[in-house]
Amino acid sequence: MTPPLKLLLCHHGTLGAQAAAAYALEVAVPGVTTLVHCLVVPELWAGMQGDDWLNNASTRDAFGDYVENMLENDARRELAGVEARCKERGIAFEAVMRLGDPAEVVLAVAAETGADLVVIGPPRRKGEEGLRSRMEMEKLVRGLRCPLLVAPRT
Amino acid sequence: MVYTKKSPALLIIGVMMLLWGWLNASGSIDGTQKWLQKSAYSDHMKVKEKYDAELRVATEMAQTEGKPAPEMKMPKSKFDDAKAKQAQLAYIFGGIATLLGLLIMAWKPKEGNLDYYLSIFPGMAFILSIAFIVRWGLDPMFGNWGKAAQDTLGFDFAKIFNLNYVVLGIVIGIVIVNVFKIPAWAANGVRTARFFLKTGVILLGALYSATELAQLGGLSVVMIGIFVLGSVWVVLIMGKRMQAGNSMTAVLSAGMGVCGVSATVAASPVVNAKAGEIAYTIGTILIWGVGCMFIFPTIGHLFNMGPVQFGAWAGTGILNSAQVAGAALAFDPHGIETLKVAEIFNITRVLFLPIIVLWLAAWYVKHEESAEKVDLGKVLIAKFPLFVIGFILLFILSTLGAFTPAGHYQGKYFSAEQIKEDKQLKGKETRAIEGELARLKEADGAKALQDHFVAKAIVIGKHKATPEDAHKALADLIANKKMTTRDQDSLLSATAKLEGLDAVAKSAIEKASKAAWHSSKAISAFRDWLAWLFSFGLIGLGMQITMAALKQAGGKPLIIGGIVGTGKALGSLIVVLLFVKEFI
Repeated sequence: MTPPLKLLLCHHGTLGAQAAAAYALEVAVPGVTTLVHCLVVPELWAGMQGDDWLNNASTRDAFGDYVENMLENDARRELAGVEARCKERGIAFEAVMRLGDPAEVVLAVAAETGADLVVIGPPRRKGEEGLRSRMEMEKLVRGLRCPLLVAPRT
Repeated sequence: MVYTKKSPALLIIGVMMLLWGWLNASGSIDGTQKWLQKSAYSDHMKVKEKYDAELRVATEMAQTEGKPAPEMKMPKSKFDDAKAKQAQLAYIFGGIATLLGLLIMAWKPKEGNLDYYLSIFPGMAFILSIAFIVRWGLDPMFGNWGKAAQDTLGFDFAKIFNLNYVVLGIVIGIVIVNVFKIPAWAANGVRTARFFLKTGVILLGALYSATELAQLGGLSVVMIGIFVLGSVWVVLIMGKRMQAGNSMTAVLSAGMGVCGVSATVAASPVVNAKAGEIAYTIGTILIWGVGCMFIFPTIGHLFNMGPVQFGAWAGTGILNSAQVAGAALAFDPHGIETLKVAEIFNITRVLFLPIIVLWLAAWYVKHEESAEKVDLGKVLIAKFPLFVIGFILLFILSTLGAFTPAGHYQGKYFSAEQIKEDKQLKGKETRAIEGELARLKEADGAKALQDHFVAKAIVIGKHKATPEDAHKALADLIANKKMTTRDQDSLLSATAKLEGLDAVAKSAIEKASKAAWHSSKAISAFRDWLAWLFSFGLIGLGMQITMAALKQAGGKPLIIGGIVGTGKALGSLIVVLLFVKEFI
């Protein structure tokens, strides 16, 4: 198998994503592969103020800023973690952070970056803890124009 | 950033509204309207029959006198008024939407205030068009279907499932955001829903009497005090026992205790809630709120609750404040008495919010070592709901008589000066009262009157009513042919209920009383606009409820929320049924 030139790693800090990161770092070849870390902030956050109407604008803005900062800090921490591991191994690193539907974002980023391999973590089991924002595997598989590697469950 | 999206949507909505206005004004859709507005149409037929009969008599009389047939105008029926109102609203808002739609198409948007404010109109027109469809079309349609299916099903499904304009509007909002997505051109305008709901609450302030506000305020402080503080306390204990984490427990207790999503939004930054915790809590509250909005009105009807009982129960038992308003209107869609009660509870909840946030901030600082201290004064000022000041201001203005004479009750006020001549008592009526006055002055009559006043505890001014007071009031009524003071009206209204009173005299007193009470046009307009504002606001809020957010309900918050939410709903139902009586 020829080493990938652009490897798209979908990683947002879950256990499955950590397995994907470990797998991607194994597959990536220093000096050849550029690892593109794609971090998707699920679009469910766009509707997270729900139907609140009693609060004034400043309280809602404070909540919006608080959530945005928290998500951004979490995302930066994840990105920095993967970047550091890439640096250790001499693998070129790029980061993309987007808000949206996970499968749609991965498809878009894969097309934009010209990825020749996409690595994702294993789908979460039913009832497992975590945000309800699953990757729609069918949408992803049907839309991808490059191989997809699903990291095994650890 | 340019906010206005170049789209013909607003223009199309405007033209459609204008078309609806024209169709109503020209009578082209009378057939459809007859079916939709069955009760108004039956009134129309009665008015027409009466008019036809009067015209026939007048024509016959004119013929016998050798005069030409008289020209008579048919009086307007409720059906005519309803059509005229639809045409008027459709013309006004359709006209504005068409003009602004043309401006959007012709203008090249540039960054600035004009762009920002113009961008909200397409979304507003979008919600308004849904409100028109729901209020004028779907609401009466489901009403008719419910009645039509009653014989087959054995019950009126539209009434049982509260398929009225409020519930249908919220459901349509939820369907639009989750199935079709809100169009980009409407996104900015949809956010104005909160503003219109708050405006509705502010206007509502004009409809309370001081006594009502004091009674409802007292009841709401007691109920909210017990159930809010109780559920916050229970969640704090359960969270600790279930090891849910301090920030999760704090944010969940705010949401479960005070006003749902609003409290979660207010408390999250103060107690450093994590992303997942916020998502779980909001998902849990939203799913409960939406469920309660459908279930509460049905249970309210099954228990035959009145406006105070249902408003108090919904205002206490439903977690989320938006659904409190929704449930109150779903329970009583064509009146606003339940909404008035429920909104007092919502206002009390929101006034409790800063206190609860402070309590939770203090609790969090005590239990979490890494927590930063919170500036309590800053929190109080930042969380204070300004619209409540608007509500109080409207209440004060209304009580002082800014919209209608001071001392009005639900927009009705007493005025002897405004009694029209044709509403004054006629000779036959005053003669009947004279006869009764003479009888009531005799010993037996005076005693019967005295006993009646004692039994009914009638008080005039500061003293107990006496037969002499009634004699004088009746003599004044005969002399003036109308009521002249409020005291006279109260006393004679009580006298009219005396057993054995002559039927003509009784009916004359009631007629005189009715003629002295007038409805404030301003308050009637407020009532009308209120229904539209809440309808608009709730459709818009429905558009903020996403399945993605609902799906987050789960984990420990769902378990704790389920237990506390059910306990709160059942506990407040029992308290309301046992202790709350109707008083408005």
